Amino acid sequence: MNKKTPYILIMPIVLLGVIFIFGVVNGIIQSFGYIPAFNLVNVTLSYYKEILSDPTFLDSLKVSLQISVISSVLAAILGIILTAALVYTGHTEGRVLQVIKLAIIIPHTIVALFSISILSQNGLLARVFYRSGLINTQRGFPLLLYTKNNLGIILGYIWKEVPFVAYFSLALMSGINNTLGEASENLGASKLKTFLYIILPLSMPAIRKAFLIILTFSFGAYDLPFLLGATVPKALPVQAHIEYIHPNLRHRPYTMAINGLILAVTWAMAGIYYLVTKKGRVKGDIHEEF
Amino acid sequence: MKNFKSNKLLNIFLYISLFIISVPMVILLLWTFTGRWPWPNLLPKTYSLRAIKEIFAPHARIFQTLFSSMLLSLSVAILSVIIGIMTARALTLYDFAGKKLIAFLSIAPNLVPGTVFAMGIHIVFIHMLLSDTVLGVIIVHLVYTLPYSVSIMRDLTQSIGERLEMQAYVLGASPFKSFIYITLPLLVPGIKTSIGMAYIISSGQYFITLLIGGGKVKTFNMLMVPFIAKGDRALGSAYALIFMVSTLLILIITDRVTKKLPYQNDGRKYKWNWN
Repeated sequence: MNKKTPYILIMPIVLLGVIFIFGVVNGIIQSFGYIPAFNLVNVTLSYYKEILSDPTFLDSLKVSLQISVISSVLAAILGIILTAALVYTGHTEGRVLQVIKLAIIIPHTIVALFSISILSQNGLLARVFYRSGLINTQRGFPLLLYTKNNLGIILGYIWKEVPFVAYFSLALMSGINNTLGEASENLGASKLKTFLYIILPLSMPAIRKAFLIILTFSFGAYDLPFLLGATVPKALPVQAHIEYIHPNLRHRPYTMAINGLILAVTWAMAGIYYLVTKKGRVKGDIHEEF
Repeated sequence: MKNFKSNKLLNIFLYISLFIISVPMVILLLWTFTGRWPWPNLLPKTYSLRAIKEIFAPHARIFQTLFSSMLLSLSVAILSVIIGIMTARALTLYDFAGKKLIAFLSIAPNLVPGTVFAMGIHIVFIHMLLSDTVLGVIIVHLVYTLPYSVSIMRDLTQSIGERLEMQAYVLGASPFKSFIYITLPLLVPGIKTSIGMAYIISSGQYFITLLIGGGKVKTFNMLMVPFIAKGDRALGSAYALIFMVSTLLILIITDRVTKKLPYQNDGRKYKWNWN
C-alpha cells in the first residue's frame, strides 16, 4: 500500500528493542569494569577471571545448572506423555484442558507457596507418609526445601512446566495424529509404532522449542530459588542480586560479570538448540515455522 | 486389545496429572480458611476467617494495590497486543530494510533472563527518571510480553493474509477502514489469547517489578511475596487466592468482551479458515 507503512508499524517495537539492547549491552560493558559514574574506567577481564575462580560462583553455577537441566528434562518427558495422553484420549479441548491451563496461569511465587504447604517437613506429603506408616516422626521426612538438594524448586518447576510443554505442543501433535497418524494406523502400523516413528518425530519441533524455553527460563529465573533455595549455595540469579545490592558501588562489575556468564550459558543452550534443529530440518521437516 | 491397554495407561496418567495439578489449589483453599491445622492431621482441625478478615481489614489497603496492579497489567496487555498486531503486520505483509533484525528482536527477550536485563537497564532508567515509575515498570514488562504477543499475532496474520482486506480496499474503502472492518474482527481470537498471556506474564513478574519499581510501584505479587517468604501459609494462601481470582476474572472479562464484537471467525479453526 504505502512504502512508509512498515516503518510506521515497527516504530514501537524498535523503541522497545533499543531499550532492550541497551539494557543487555550496558550490563555487559559494566562487566568489563567500565562504569565512569563510579570512577571505574579501566576495561579489563579481571572481574570475569575472579568470578570464574571463585568457589561461591562455581557452586551457584552448579546449583542453577542442576535445577534447570533436571527439571527441564523431566518436564519435557512427562510433558510429551501428557500431550500424548490428551491427544489419544480425545481431550484436545474442553474442561480437561482448562485444568491444565490453570497451571500456566499461576505465577512462580504462588508455586513456591504450593511447595511450602505440600513438601515441607510438616507439609501435606509428610503427613500422608506419617499416616501410612512410611515415617515415624516429622523429622523422618526428607528435607526438600531450603536445602542443597533443591528438590522443592525442581518439583515446583516440573509442576508448572509439564502443563506448559503439553499446552505448547498439543496443537501440532493432535494435527499430526489426525492426518498422518491415522494414515499410518490405517496402513497397519501399531499405535505405539505410529507414535514413535511418525507422531513423535514430527512433533519434535514444538517439543524442542518448549524444552529450550523452559531450560533457559529455569536457568535464569529468580523467584523460586529466591523463595525456596538454600542459604548457600544460592542459584546464580539470586547470587547476582546479592552482589548487586552490595553497599560498595565499585563492586558492581562482579554482579555484571555473573550476569554475563548467565547470558553466556543461556546463549550456549540456544546455540546447541539451533545446531540440533538445523540438522533436523534437512530431513524434510513439514513444520518449518517451528 | 493392545490399543485398549495403552489407552488405559494414558488415561491413568492423564488423571494423575490432573490430580497433581488440582491438589495444590484445594490445599490453598483449605489454608485460606484454616484456624488450626496441627501435625499430623490431613485436614484442618478448626476453620476460621482470620486470614480473610485480616486481608479485608481497611488498614491493609490491599484492594487499592490489587486494582492498581490489575490496571497496570491490563495496560501492559493492551499495549502489548497493539504493538504485537503492528509488528506482525509489518513482518508478514511488507518487505522492508531490517526485517530479519526486527523478527529476531521480537523473540530475543526469551534468551535474556529478566534479572540480567533488569540489572543492566536499571541505571539507565535511573538517569532517564524512569525507575520507580509505573511507566518504567510497564516498559520492562512489555519487553517480556511482546515475544508472545508478536508470535501469536504473526501466526494469525499469516493465516488470514491480506486478500480480503485488499478486496475492501479495491472496492473503495480506505486502508484504515478496511483494516478496522475486515482484518481486526478476524484477529479477535489472537487478541484474546495475547491479552490473556500478556496479563499473566505481567502480573506474575516479581523481580523486575521490584527492581525497576523500586518498591514505589506496588503490585499485588509484591504484597504477597513477604508472606510466602515467611512461610505464613494462611495469609499467603488468602493472598494467592485473591490473586488467582483476579486473574480468572480478567480472563473471563476478556473472553466476554471479545465475544460481543461483531463479525468474527470461529477462533478454534482460524488456522485453516483462510488459506
